[in-house]
Amino acid sequence: MSTPTPSGPAGALAAALTAEYAAIWAYGPIGVRLTGAARTAAREAEAAHRRRRDDLVVRLSAGGGSVPPDRAGYTLPFPVTDRASALRLAVEVEERTAAFWRAAVPATTGADRDRALAVLVEYALRATRWRRTAGITPLTVPFPGRPA
Amino acid sequence: MLRAGALLALGGAAAPLTGCGLLDRDDDPNPGPDPLTPLLDEALRLAAGHRDAAVAHPALAGLLTPIAEAHHAHAAELARLVGVPLPSGSAPATPAAPGDPAAARAALRAGERAGREAATRACAAAPAERAALLASIVAARATHVEALK
Repeated sequence: MSTPTPSGPAGALAAALTAEYAAIWAYGPIGVRLTGAARTAAREAEAAHRRRRDDLVVRLSAGGGSVPPDRAGYTLPFPVTDRASALRLAVEVEERTAAFWRAAVPATTGADRDRALAVLVEYALRATRWRRTAGITPLTVPFPGRPA
Repeated sequence: MLRAGALLALGGAAAPLTGCGLLDRDDDPNPGPDPLTPLLDEALRLAAGHRDAAVAHPALAGLLTPIAEAHHAHAAELARLVGVPLPSGSAPATPAAPGDPAAARAALRAGERAGREAATRACAAAPAERAALLASIVAARATHVEALK
C-alpha cells in the first residue's frame, strides 16, 4: 500500500480500491495464524473488504473511469509468524485502509462523502476491536486514518 | 397585464438586495460564529468529562486518559481551524461523574455518541479543507464508544 494520492472523487476511489486489494490479500496470512473467534472475525473482515472492492469496481466502471488492477502479491510490513503478529497486522491493515477512505472524504460531497465517512468509521472501529483482541493499549488513536 | 405586474414586483424586490445586501456582505466585520465553534466547545467538554471521571475512578484512568487526550488534541486542531487560541486554565464545568463505574462509563458513552452525531453533521456540511479532520473526529468518537463498552 502506498500513501493516498487522490485527485478528485474518481482518483480517491481508485486509490481506495488499491488499498482494498492489499487488505484482502493481507487477511490471507492473518487468518491462518488465528483460531476460534479471532479467525471468524478475520474471515468477516476479509469479506467486508471484498464487498467494498466489488462495490468500488462497479462504481468506477459505471463512472467511465479507469479501474486499477489487483497485483499478484503484496509485501507485508513485517513477517506474520504467530497470533500476536497476525493481530498486529490486522490492526495495521484496518488503519492503513482507513487512511484512503479518510482521503476520499474531502474529495467527495453529498452521499459519496457520507459513504466514505461510514467506511472510515467502520475500519477505525475494526482496528479498535483488533487491538482489544490483541491486548494492545490504548484501544484508540486520536485521529483515525490521519497519516502519521 | 398579470405578467407585467409580476415582473415589476420582482424588480422592486431585487433592487434593495443588489443595492446593499449582496454587495455589502464582503465588508461585514461580523461574519457570525464559525460553524466549528460548537464542536470545539464540545471537544473541551468531552475532554474534561473523561478527566474528571478518571479522577473519580482511578481504576478506569488507563482507559479514560488517552480518550481525554484525544479530545484535547481535537480541540487544538479545531481551534487552529477556527483561528482562536485554545482556552487555557480552567476546564469547562462538567456534571459530577457518577459514583458507580459502570454508570460513569455509560454517561461517557452517551456523550461520545452525541458528539459523534454532531461531528458527522459538521463533516457533511464542511468545505473540503476541513472535512478530513472532521472525519477523523467522527471516527475517533465512534471508537471511544466502542472502547467504553
